[in-house]
Amino acid sequence: MRSLKRLHHVLIGAALLALAVAPARAADPGLTDNEITIGLFGPLSGPLIGYGLDPLNAAKMLYEEANRQGGIQGRKIKLVVEDDKCTPNDLVAVVKKLTTVDKVFLLHGGSCTAAVAAAQDFVNREKIPMVMLNAAGDNAVFPPTPYVFGSFQATQRVYGSALASFAAQQLKAKRAAIIVHDDDYGNANLKTAKAVLERAGVQVVAEERIPPNISDITAPMLKVRAAKPDVILSGAYPAPAVLIAQKYAEYGMTDIPLLQATQGIPSPSTFAKNVGNPDALKNFYHTWSFTDIGDAAIHDKYIKLYKSYYPDREPTAFFVTGLPSAFMVIAALEKAGKELTRESFVKALEQTRVKPDVMAGELAFGPNRRDALRDVIVVRFDGVKQTVMPGVYTWNGTDGM
Amino acid sequence: MSSLLLMQAVASGIVTGCVYALVALSLVIIYKSTDVVNFAGGELVMLGAYVGLLALTFFTLPYVTMIGLSVVIVFAVGALFERVALNTITGRRYAAHADLVPLVVATVGLGYLLKGIVRVVPYTEEVRRLPPLIAGPPLFFGDVILQRQDLAIVAVTIVVMLALTLFFTFTRAGKALRATSQNPRAAALIGIPVRRMRMAAWGLSSAIAALAGILLAPKLLMTPDMGTVVMLAFAAAIIGGFTSLPGCVIGGIVLGVVQNLVGVLLSPQAIAVTPFFVIMVVLLLRPQGLLGEALAPKKV
Repeated sequence: MRSLKRLHHVLIGAALLALAVAPARAADPGLTDNEITIGLFGPLSGPLIGYGLDPLNAAKMLYEEANRQGGIQGRKIKLVVEDDKCTPNDLVAVVKKLTTVDKVFLLHGGSCTAAVAAAQDFVNREKIPMVMLNAAGDNAVFPPTPYVFGSFQATQRVYGSALASFAAQQLKAKRAAIIVHDDDYGNANLKTAKAVLERAGVQVVAEERIPPNISDITAPMLKVRAAKPDVILSGAYPAPAVLIAQKYAEYGMTDIPLLQATQGIPSPSTFAKNVGNPDALKNFYHTWSFTDIGDAAIHDKYIKLYKSYYPDREPTAFFVTGLPSAFMVIAALEKAGKELTRESFVKALEQTRVKPDVMAGELAFGPNRRDALRDVIVVRFDGVKQTVMPGVYTWNGTDGM
Repeated sequence: MSSLLLMQAVASGIVTGCVYALVALSLVIIYKSTDVVNFAGGELVMLGAYVGLLALTFFTLPYVTMIGLSVVIVFAVGALFERVALNTITGRRYAAHADLVPLVVATVGLGYLLKGIVRVVPYTEEVRRLPPLIAGPPLFFGDVILQRQDLAIVAVTIVVMLALTLFFTFTRAGKALRATSQNPRAAALIGIPVRRMRMAAWGLSSAIAALAGILLAPKLLMTPDMGTVVMLAFAAAIIGGFTSLPGCVIGGIVLGVVQNLVGVLLSPQAIAVTPFFVIMVVLLLRPQGLLGEALAPKKV
């Protein structure tokens, strides 16, 4: 018995000695004792620059704020910024360059889902964490993959669910028409909205899938009018969203509430100007993921911060969409602690739950969850004033799947 | 399916078809005069619209002045492109058929160049819209509803088409342009200034593209990519006949109406493929287009 005990002590001693003399494990790329290198990217040129320029500036601003306050666990954040133009080819090239040439610790970027989804294979193969900047990201987060995290301003499923819930609960709709783009995101929105509406006993009387580059919205709007809905849900992008609102007013449908998902109205003032008809916005609502509309103090706080970093730039309303992903990255880096690795960062992301004051809901991931935000609000917009409607609308994680 | 639904679809289709036709007219002028297919046609439309937007919002010019300014600037861009790029590519010789490929590729380059330049303007970060030429409440024709701007588009398209037809048929300059295209060497021999005529053709075509841009911008909205409408204009020109000005107006209207009817009777999802289906049918049944000249080898 005593000899067994001695053997036990010897083995433990040997193990401790082995640990002590083993060479220190090499740190992951982009990581030193006093610096973390992050590859930050978004569309900084091209037709979708509006989705990326101000949001990327907002994310940069939060990192610089973190550095100003001493960094994260003693490490300063160093950024390598690239332009992905929101195209799959450019984004994949940027991701490869940041990973293999700049050797960043983690990737933070992407404002367009299709482009982000194109980089998924590479990112998972290289095992480098990628946190999306502000892409809705349905295709990149469903099904979840180990290293891709995103949807900080909610997925199309969340928007579809919110529009449908608002129509059923607040507007007491009985007959709904839905217009979406004929692509994966539109279909995700449609499928979710239908599931929620049908469960609430609302009949879907028209469902129109339109080409994203449609030049004449007459045909689908005629079909919507003929179906006599008492609410219209739209998941259109900015240009078709304007055409829908114009035609809706032209055909005298303004007594019917028109509900628009966030992506169609990145800048409410420009949207109103483009629609060019105040009647079209008499009964208009849209989803939003942030509290800045309803809370002037929060709005002013972030605008002031933005202007302190970029005094010459007047940010669009979309600039807030760059904030949540940066908040999450900073929180997860803090949680991962001093002994930071890419794997520990992924683990920390899965365990981090944050609710920044600017968000309508909590940001959270999990072992099998890669979409951050499932709560959004609905805002009434009359062309000038935005009024937050009561309630927060939460996607249940299953509708539309 | 109610007849009202179909009538509204046809009426809106005619207006949208006129949009395609207006752009197609600018393409056909170049083709009739120089044999070159202008792939920068859409970007010239886009340039016209953005020059207009800049004139209205930045320089706060009156609408009429804005139209004049946009037309003049884009006319100059087209003429300059012909002089600096195309004329250099042809080596200051009269283009033979072998020279057409680099010329067409140069127009693709012009398209990218214009898009790149326009994107530098801050207004391109968001979807924009020009105010309509004629504002006001919609007009009712029975139960059919049309915007005043829609009528302006139809009227301008018809006027431009008639003016160009008269120009090419009855004026010396128009006939000289046609002669330049049909046989540049012979045209030069009888004293036609071929280079100047080509420059004028590019200028004229670009000016019409600018006008189209100003009329389309309130209807289709503005982004640096709005030039993609040129694909539908090509379809209109192919359907109507690439050498016929009235043909491309008819082609545009046929296309606009068929697209809307397909959207109403079948599904809006089918709208995007309709132009290509119609092109296939026309090419199979009447390769020269509805009003195009019969296809024949050109004598040089």
